[in-house]
Amino acid sequence: MKKLLSVLLVTLLVAGLMTSALAGTADGKKIALVGKSAGNAFFEIAAASFKEAGEGEGATIDVVYPEAATADAQIKVLDNLISQQPDAICISANDFNALQAKLEEAMDAGIKVSSFDSAPNPASRQVFVNQAGTVAVGQALIDAVYDMAGGEGQWAILSATSQATNQNAWIDAMKKLAEDEKYAKLELVEVAYGDDEPQKSTDQTQALLDNYPDLKVICAPTTVGIMAAAKLVQDKPDCKVKITGLGLPSEMLEYTGADDAHSCPYFYLWDMQLLGKLSAYATIALINGDITGAEGESFTVEGLGEFSITAADDGGTEIVQGLPLQFNADNIEEMAKLY
Amino acid sequence: MNLKKLTGSREFLLFIIVIAMFAIVSVVNPVFFSFNAVTDMLKNNAVTLVMALGMLGVMLVGGIDISITSTLALSGMTIGMLLKYNHISSTLLAFVIAIAIGTACGALVGLLISRAGVPPIIASMGFMYIYRAMGYLISNGGEWASAAALGSFKNFGTDKLLGLSKVIWIIIVCYIVFFFVMKWTRIGRQVYAVGSNAEAAEVSGIKVKNIKLMVHTVMGFLAGLAGALQVAVYASAMPNMAQGGEMDVIAACVIGGVSMSGGRGSVIGALLGALIMAMIPKALPLLHIDALWQNMIKGVMILAVVVINVILQRIAQRNALARREM
Amino acid sequence: MAGKSGRSINNVPESPIKKLIFGWEGILILVFIGVNIFCKWFSEYYNMFNLLRQMPVYLAEVFLMLVMAFILVMGEIDISVGATVCLAATMACIASNAGIPFPLVILITLLVGTCCGLINAVILTNFSELPPMIVTLSTQIIFRGIAEIVLGSGGSISVANTAGFKAISRKIGSVPLILFLVIILAVFAAIVLGRSTFGRKVYAIGTNRLAARYSGVAVQKIRFIIYTLMGTAAGLCALFMVASSYGANTTTGTGFEMDAIAMAVFGGISSTGGKGNMIGGIISAFIIVCLRIGLGQRNVNGQVILLIIGVLLIAAVALPNILGSLKKAVKK
Repeated sequence: MKKLLSVLLVTLLVAGLMTSALAGTADGKKIALVGKSAGNAFFEIAAASFKEAGEGEGATIDVVYPEAATADAQIKVLDNLISQQPDAICISANDFNALQAKLEEAMDAGIKVSSFDSAPNPASRQVFVNQAGTVAVGQALIDAVYDMAGGEGQWAILSATSQATNQNAWIDAMKKLAEDEKYAKLELVEVAYGDDEPQKSTDQTQALLDNYPDLKVICAPTTVGIMAAAKLVQDKPDCKVKITGLGLPSEMLEYTGADDAHSCPYFYLWDMQLLGKLSAYATIALINGDITGAEGESFTVEGLGEFSITAADDGGTEIVQGLPLQFNADNIEEMAKLY
Repeated sequence: MNLKKLTGSREFLLFIIVIAMFAIVSVVNPVFFSFNAVTDMLKNNAVTLVMALGMLGVMLVGGIDISITSTLALSGMTIGMLLKYNHISSTLLAFVIAIAIGTACGALVGLLISRAGVPPIIASMGFMYIYRAMGYLISNGGEWASAAALGSFKNFGTDKLLGLSKVIWIIIVCYIVFFFVMKWTRIGRQVYAVGSNAEAAEVSGIKVKNIKLMVHTVMGFLAGLAGALQVAVYASAMPNMAQGGEMDVIAACVIGGVSMSGGRGSVIGALLGALIMAMIPKALPLLHIDALWQNMIKGVMILAVVVINVILQRIAQRNALARREM
Repeated sequence: MAGKSGRSINNVPESPIKKLIFGWEGILILVFIGVNIFCKWFSEYYNMFNLLRQMPVYLAEVFLMLVMAFILVMGEIDISVGATVCLAATMACIASNAGIPFPLVILITLLVGTCCGLINAVILTNFSELPPMIVTLSTQIIFRGIAEIVLGSGGSISVANTAGFKAISRKIGSVPLILFLVIILAVFAAIVLGRSTFGRKVYAIGTNRLAARYSGVAVQKIRFIIYTLMGTAAGLCALFMVASSYGANTTTGTGFEMDAIAMAVFGGISSTGGKGNMIGGIISAFIIVCLRIGLGQRNVNGQVILLIIGVLLIAAVALPNILGSLKKAVKK
């Protein structure tokens, strides 16, 4: 009887191993996903699909948040992770430079380092999954400004903090593109910082409205900023300024529409779920040695197609996910249900 | 005589500073000099204005509370999630729940301080971590409740009553009630008595422990109210909202002449201090100060206001002494 | 020397060894052992090697605690230290990138920190009626504001030549250099606070400022020295922060003041002044460090870790008081 039981158990075990072995390309691998901070709705969505995709391939995914939205706190998280020796760390960095020491230490310890959403500097990563090409985002935003301003007039930028890496990259891209003759009649009057805080963003938006009575468009490439600006402008029935930028559909549902009653005709974001999924597959490809993060390599994701690694503006390499998505009166209801 | 008393008072000096700041900004940028600009400013600082009253009470008994913005986040996030998942829809009920949570949070802090003898800074520091973490946990680890999820609740932030935003009416009511209570009721006098000399107050029959418990409970009440206001004014609830805002509130009180060792301070002072704290970030961009310089200048201005106030008071004291010698 | 023993639950005799065993410090040592047993059980990665490897980032904050303890014993507070760390770290990176030799970079960093402390000291001693909290709150905004201006748009700087910073974060055997430094400075600080005239004066100020002044203690001079040294400690902390990140940014050092205060208070140093000693502060610093590492290694949510520390903090102060009053009630 005992013998039978043990045979049965062993068979079950082997069967279990077999099925899981068949299930994915990352069986038994451990991946840690490090966010910018807890309480970031934006990140949650990508993290959820990262987890789903990774687990689908048989990997264990730990989503870890630092206790505050600072590089200091992420350093402590990385220290913890290096102790755990996961196969890979995928990080959205709070600062471009500050994680270098720890991420180098991780890579020296044999941990693969990928990043997404917000990149640490080239020395501290093997590959960066860029949600949408920096130039593509800049182009989409400046075209939105051009369109909403009717081709000419004053516009302003409301950013998060002066430190936000990806925001700065988009702003720089916009400024560079604005030198083109097409946008010659657009005048960027100011870059203001709202610190991703509703109160300060409101103060700064109000100041932009007050200081520049002829202002036509405010572009806020940050979720909290665009929300605060859109709310402030929408609450002023006689204010004709239009808001655009990067935001979450579910947060912007109330303010998006083609008519005068809504302050934001349309805005952009990328496919957050795809971002999470692609990051997961890129990280697994790193672990399996399918890619090393060098320029010119490529890998295939089933159902999504082939992605190649290209040179990034900062001197490192990146995988560009695609073009930014536009959210407008037609699709916002639908998209708001997703994220 | 009355005039002399008035001009010599700390509040009067502050009032002059407020008027001067207002005038300077208005001259440089006339946009500031309008009814709308002022009401917008009040609305955007409703949270600080309301909580400054609670902090006044806490500081009058010689205490301090740095857990208040965590309480704000916990209560605000709770009603945000309740509204988002349609557990409640009534604006009034949301306010009641937020205030109830805030009051309970404040009472707990007060109990530890008054009954277990924990120094106020430590008790409130512990709860600052605890309540903030609870806010995160309630948000399912990071969900936001956005404008669309808040239903009719967010209208409270835009609705008007007799031409004035409802949010501003709440501020006004709070200040009137506090002014009345602190000046003309026994409880108000007892708070001052405890702060001036707790032992003497105890001997004269005041239940010092209960007074301390009460001021922290009131602080919690107002922090809960501020939580609801924050969610209404910005039409969004996030678990990290108002982080660090407690320092603005404390600064408002100190600028307003409230003593950190207790016993001294007034409702008018707290109001003027909160107005100064509201005006600085509002004015800096209007004065076309470079974005990167604004934080530094804000710090310098806070320091300047407190230092100037001390110098003026020293002069006033010296004059008073000189007069006595004559 | 009544009132110097920190929070002791029972009125044990004055013998220092007995005090160590039965007093708050004894309990802290038990807690320290308990925390380590718990962490060992909780985290499979909790071992000496990982502990020593992860410790440096936390130890940098212990420098702050060493001087913060003096400030708390005086019954005061300094909340500008985190911002001072930020400014000093920024300057360290700039100096290093300017090609200045590393020993000079160290000197400059310490000097920047000391200058920040000096500014606090000058304001606080010249306007002694101002509450330290509000002064250091404004300088907190100012110091970080200056760092923001210096760092410009981008808000972040990285060190090009990391050799020097790698040198100060190296290990002797498997023990990081910073641990030795912390221990040496902690022993020094403990002697100054516990055994020197200077230390006794600090307690005197914390117990009764007016009485201290009348008995000839140069209150303002002592405050001046301590606040200036607080800046120096922040400079030291900044050096090791740069060593652990090869860079500085506008959020460097955020919240460090609260961490330092928490360590000291958990160690029995009262924020109302006049009570506690350095030994308690140091043991509690290591308790908090071990606990954070142990919990962190199992990816416990950062907010939950803060929640636990919050509970511990309150319990550490409330329990002795509650037990004490219970004991009194029983005696009656």
